Amino acid sequence: MVEPRKLFNTEVKVVNVGLRIFYEDLKKQGVKVVHVNYQPRPKLEKELESKLSELL
Amino acid sequence: MGYVKTVVEKNLVRDSLVLMKISEDLKKIPGVEEALVAMGTETNKKLAMDLGVFTPDVEKASEGDLFIAIRASSQEALEKAIAAAREMLSKPAGAGEAEFYDVDMALAALPDANLALISVPGEYAKEVAMKFLERGIHVHVFSDHVPKEDEVEMKKYAFERGLLVLGPGAGTSIINGVAIAFANAVRRGPIGIVASAGTGLQEVSSLIHNLGSGVSQGLGVGGGDVKNYVGGLMMKLGLKLLDRDEETKVLTIVAKPPEKETLESILQYVEKETRKPIVFGFMGKFTLSLPKGLVGRASAARSLHATALEAVRLVDEELYERGKEKLTIQYEKLLSMLQPYWEELSPKQKYIRGLFTGGTLTSEALTLLDELKIELYSNAPLPGQKQLPDPFRSVGNTIVDLGEEEFTAGRAHPMIDPTIRRLRLIEEAKDPEVAVVLMDFVLGYGSHVDPVGAHLPAIKEAQKIAEADGRKLVIIGYVLGVSGDPQGYESQIEKLRSVGAIVPPTNAVGVLSAAVVASRGQISRDIVDKFYKEYFEAYIKAR
Repeated sequence: MVEPRKLFNTEVKVVNVGLRIFYEDLKKQGVKVVHVNYQPRPKLEKELESKLSELL
Repeated sequence: MGYVKTVVEKNLVRDSLVLMKISEDLKKIPGVEEALVAMGTETNKKLAMDLGVFTPDVEKASEGDLFIAIRASSQEALEKAIAAAREMLSKPAGAGEAEFYDVDMALAALPDANLALISVPGEYAKEVAMKFLERGIHVHVFSDHVPKEDEVEMKKYAFERGLLVLGPGAGTSIINGVAIAFANAVRRGPIGIVASAGTGLQEVSSLIHNLGSGVSQGLGVGGGDVKNYVGGLMMKLGLKLLDRDEETKVLTIVAKPPEKETLESILQYVEKETRKPIVFGFMGKFTLSLPKGLVGRASAARSLHATALEAVRLVDEELYERGKEKLTIQYEKLLSMLQPYWEELSPKQKYIRGLFTGGTLTSEALTLLDELKIELYSNAPLPGQKQLPDPFRSVGNTIVDLGEEEFTAGRAHPMIDPTIRRLRLIEEAKDPEVAVVLMDFVLGYGSHVDPVGAHLPAIKEAQKIAEADGRKLVIIGYVLGVSGDPQGYESQIEKLRSVGAIVPPTNAVGVLSAAVVASRGQISRDIVDKFYKEYFEAYIKAR
């Protein structure tokens, strides 16, 4: 089992996924942060995927 | 009225924050009187009507369409604004900045990340969160509308592994002094908070700061956590981690009262797994009965005001004594401060209109006014209170939560976008029976850059409308924040005072002040005494 990473009383390093404003606010606070511009997969693809996983 | 032109872009979707920014920028073009670039939701169509830019094309727009609606003093300005809007819409946000399109790539760039902040549409939140949890990375899920079964699955997985899932639907956390999403620049200190109420965490942590103490960690676990389907998993884990944390001396909970089964299991867990003093801040009319093992170690409070004070009392009696004077304004003093305001009211002015942006601040207002025996309407009423028939129109005493769905569909939250509240304030000013308008201004990261400044022209206009009718409108503006907040706490307060507004030290004192002004100081002494005892201090006190 993967150990939980230390969070309290150490440097916070953040991956921001979604709203860009949060990335900018973290940067303003001097936090190490990277931003993921998240695009949900198209619906059809997801349905196809579940059909496929049923078949395979 | 000028020239109006609207353009509908079919099947074009943009984030509400981006659209708000575009609308603001368009208004700066000379000759442009009003600009609204928004998704075609009912809320936005109503807003277009109120702003005088509604057309049959806008009416036809669907929720997946975007509309540009401009009103300008000349045809030329109109065309210029439409062209500018189209250009701004064609540019991707934050172009030129390094960003990733994939979690794995982002983690390759920041391999020792220890927290993910997730604000994707709710139905995708679990998929994204699991990628981090599987790697031992804690997550804060800001997203709303996460399916319950997804929340349970994430939290069970995380709980077993000692990982935090903050949220879903959590607006606020403070980790090692860093503001995550909507949070204030609160000093670090000995009080550890676990909260299922987002603005509640902002209010309690800011008050703790303003009392001179500080917060070790503030963990927002989301409203669903204390319901039976989750059973308080993250509240429990959060408390356990804070109990083991050397920096934390006192544990504090800020939440709505949990469902019965969950409450019992949280109490058992706290009794068994923690050793530090604890404040149970379960908001509202609720009386906690402590298990034997917690008597003497635990306190309980019913308001955000009392929860913050009690947490500070448990770490530093001296700070508490000093802070109590500042926060809990003695009733006689409050009466003499407020008398000049109610003396200027005309006999017809009797109602309170609360226009809130913070959910927990709204429910605190509802509880407190109920306790003061004031009948009211709300779009988010407590049991026994009346539902506002039309959330867009106040009647009698009204407390409205502008962060509710009907005001935010396809729009940014009112803590970021002041448009809807500005219009509402003007409507309230036109009503000759309104005595007091009560508003919250929530500062901190995530919020509008200048919330008070953005309301000043509307406040002045409201005062003018009242004065033209021979009335004086009392404005109470509560500023939730601390001096390090990016908006500048002191300057926000100063701006409110410059237009004659009353600025209370806490949301609860603001609510009491509204009731005192509207009743001309005629609240019965018994009610006041009970109120002070039950809502301005803890009703169970640890030794």
